[in-house]
Amino acid sequence: MVGDNSVRLADDSTVPADRVPASLIPIVRRFSRRLRIGLFLDAFPQWAAGALLAAGCAALVCRLFVPAADPYLFWLLAAPALAILPASVLSIRRAYRPEEVLAIVDALTGGDGAVLTLAERHDQAWSHASQISRAAHAALPRFRPWRRLTIVVPALAFLVIALLLPRRTPAAGPSPIADDVVSGLSATLKELQSHDLVTPEEEKQLQQEIERVRKAAEERMDASAWEAADAVKEKMAANAAAKRDAASWAQEALARYSAAGGSTGNPDAASAKAELSKALEALARSGALVGVPMDIQKMLADGKLPGDAAALGKLAAALGQYLGDVQSRLGEVQGFGGRASRFDPSEFAAAGEGEGDGAGAGNTPGRGGITRGRADAKLTYGQESLPAERFKAQALPPGYVRSPDDWAPVVNMPGAPIVAPEASGRAAARAYADDAGQAAFRRTLAPRHQSAVKKYFKP
Amino acid sequence: MITDTRPLLDPDAVGTAQTSIARVVDALRRVILGKEDTIDEVVAALLGRGHVLLEGLPGLGKTELVKALSRLLSIDFRRIQFTPDLLPTDITGSHILQEVDGRKEFAFHAGPVFTNLLLADEINRASPKTQAALLEAMQERRVTIFGETRPLPFPFFVLATQNPIELEGTYPLPEAQLDRFMFKVDVAGVDRAVLEEILTTRVHGEPPALTPVLDAAGLQRLFDAVDAVHMPRAVANYTSRLVAATHPESSDAPPQVRQFVKYGSSPRGAIAIGAAARGLALMRGKPNVGFDEIRRVAPAALSHRLVLDYSARLEGWTGRRLLGALLEAVPDVERGLPQTLEART
Repeated sequence: MVGDNSVRLADDSTVPADRVPASLIPIVRRFSRRLRIGLFLDAFPQWAAGALLAAGCAALVCRLFVPAADPYLFWLLAAPALAILPASVLSIRRAYRPEEVLAIVDALTGGDGAVLTLAERHDQAWSHASQISRAAHAALPRFRPWRRLTIVVPALAFLVIALLLPRRTPAAGPSPIADDVVSGLSATLKELQSHDLVTPEEEKQLQQEIERVRKAAEERMDASAWEAADAVKEKMAANAAAKRDAASWAQEALARYSAAGGSTGNPDAASAKAELSKALEALARSGALVGVPMDIQKMLADGKLPGDAAALGKLAAALGQYLGDVQSRLGEVQGFGGRASRFDPSEFAAAGEGEGDGAGAGNTPGRGGITRGRADAKLTYGQESLPAERFKAQALPPGYVRSPDDWAPVVNMPGAPIVAPEASGRAAARAYADDAGQAAFRRTLAPRHQSAVKKYFKP
Repeated sequence: MITDTRPLLDPDAVGTAQTSIARVVDALRRVILGKEDTIDEVVAALLGRGHVLLEGLPGLGKTELVKALSRLLSIDFRRIQFTPDLLPTDITGSHILQEVDGRKEFAFHAGPVFTNLLLADEINRASPKTQAALLEAMQERRVTIFGETRPLPFPFFVLATQNPIELEGTYPLPEAQLDRFMFKVDVAGVDRAVLEEILTTRVHGEPPALTPVLDAAGLQRLFDAVDAVHMPRAVANYTSRLVAATHPESSDAPPQVRQFVKYGSSPRGAIAIGAAARGLALMRGKPNVGFDEIRRVAPAALSHRLVLDYSARLEGWTGRRLLGALLEAVPDVERGLPQTLEART
């Protein structure tokens, strides 16, 4: 009821309540409600099927191309809920007008036009007619939504199948191999970091180079990737070697400076001091002073070496201890300790036939050819290849020529030509004509072929 | 929109009218046995003030029905036996030269059409010219002779009969003439039980004697009551859709109509349905027309208004059969239930 005077039906329009007999108001309301639900159920399946199909397509795309969305895909099962809104809007827009509702009520409940008549003409005299009481107690139409909802089933099946599709695993790309290429470099860099043998700038630069090598290996995996990795490793080894050399030089210079006593009047001391200063500068440039203790830093802060013997001795002791520590740390680095480059001296240890100084197998030179050995190995002489005189000429035993008359037939094969000097050449040609290809020569050509044959031979 | 604000018939008035009609109907049913549907249709057409064309084989009681009706209504009744040599003036009347007070002048002699109930027996045996003499009388309820128009008495009904066989020497009624008839009632044969009853209750087939049950004043009251029967808008909408669907070019037309009908019904068909349905509703004791009354009178009101294609005759489709298909195809309510709802039978 709207206010006291009207009955609200399917939409905002109303029928004056006094137009409809009171006994009909409940049935009209129930009819109106059921018609609204029926309209919604008419519209909902198509929209739900559409939503499920769209959700199925989305699930399919996510399964194939967006693996990260997997945890959220099962929310797509709620897609039919989205269809409620458009279905509701459609059912409201298609709502039955009050007179349409009354016409349906009249037609379906056996009103014989009485319901319509009383709605159009208010007359209480007929409000208790048999048609009215029959209509008031009529059965409502029953819902039959299943046939309409069958179109949802294939769409739902499509979505479920899309959700149950196995997740697509990405094919094994170059990434693991690329990681393997740079794994040694990364390990060596970490080792250098743990031993305080690399400056932050060097570390940053090396990391950039390692990353560059890795990306290049991902894009194209071939021998060049390994060569690039070896180059970086060699660079790291070269830096370590430079540090080692600088530390050795500094140790030697420090020893000489200590031996000179540090006296300013002593010329050897002055030259030793200058050498020590240069050695310390080279040490600083090499980056070997990264983890130098604070006391040494203080002593070297002003760039001048201490003049008194006590301070000098203290510096020498501390610096010597530090340099020894640097040497030992460099020795502990396993990443390129014995194999700092692609050149592996151990491979040539067994071939130490050269005249090296015996300091190590890595100094053993090669013997020529492609396995000549290290480029920095000392050149040796006297073990050249054997002289060409070893290959002397050897005289073969003399041969002989058989006489043309010294022959006799071994066997006569069937069909073998029999030499008959008395027969004429023409007769012999006839006798052996078949074997000599005369059959083909004498074959008669068809007239239409003759011109072709002539043309072939006489172009 | 013009709305009908007249009050509904009160139950007493409806009851009185229903009783009067029932007396006529019961008396007709005593005379014509086994023809309840035919009698209902004829009475409904009379209540709707329409003319009726009765078509049936000889001996089925067509003429007897009309004669019985005239006796029951106690109104003036004339009968014209249509023959090929019948002239229009034999129906309408004519001026005759006669001597009055010593001088000769034309005096009008009214024809048999000047009556309340005219039985046009075997109407299709007269020439088209003579048939056409009834056109103005049936539609305008007046006759024009020598430029003088004379009104016919009220009420004026034409109940014509025709024989569907023995068509030699006949002149089928033109469409315009057929359209004047509110109903074309097919009078069917009777079954064995009815024949048995006729043989046992009638001597020489004579019908029982009838006494008038309704006079002209009573008939006028019935007509007034019929006019007061309400037709709801939805029912009128159903009627209009039904008539519109008889046209083959209509989108609502069923396939049979599109295939076999050349021309559909005129608006006069819808008017005839409305008038007859009002009469039928009153006959049923209702103050309003319902969908069922429309369905009941539509075949009789529309079947003769369809101009059928020649293929319809070859396929055995008649107007009545097409109306059956039409009534099945056109729903009562223009907008039915949603597809997910099913009416309980």
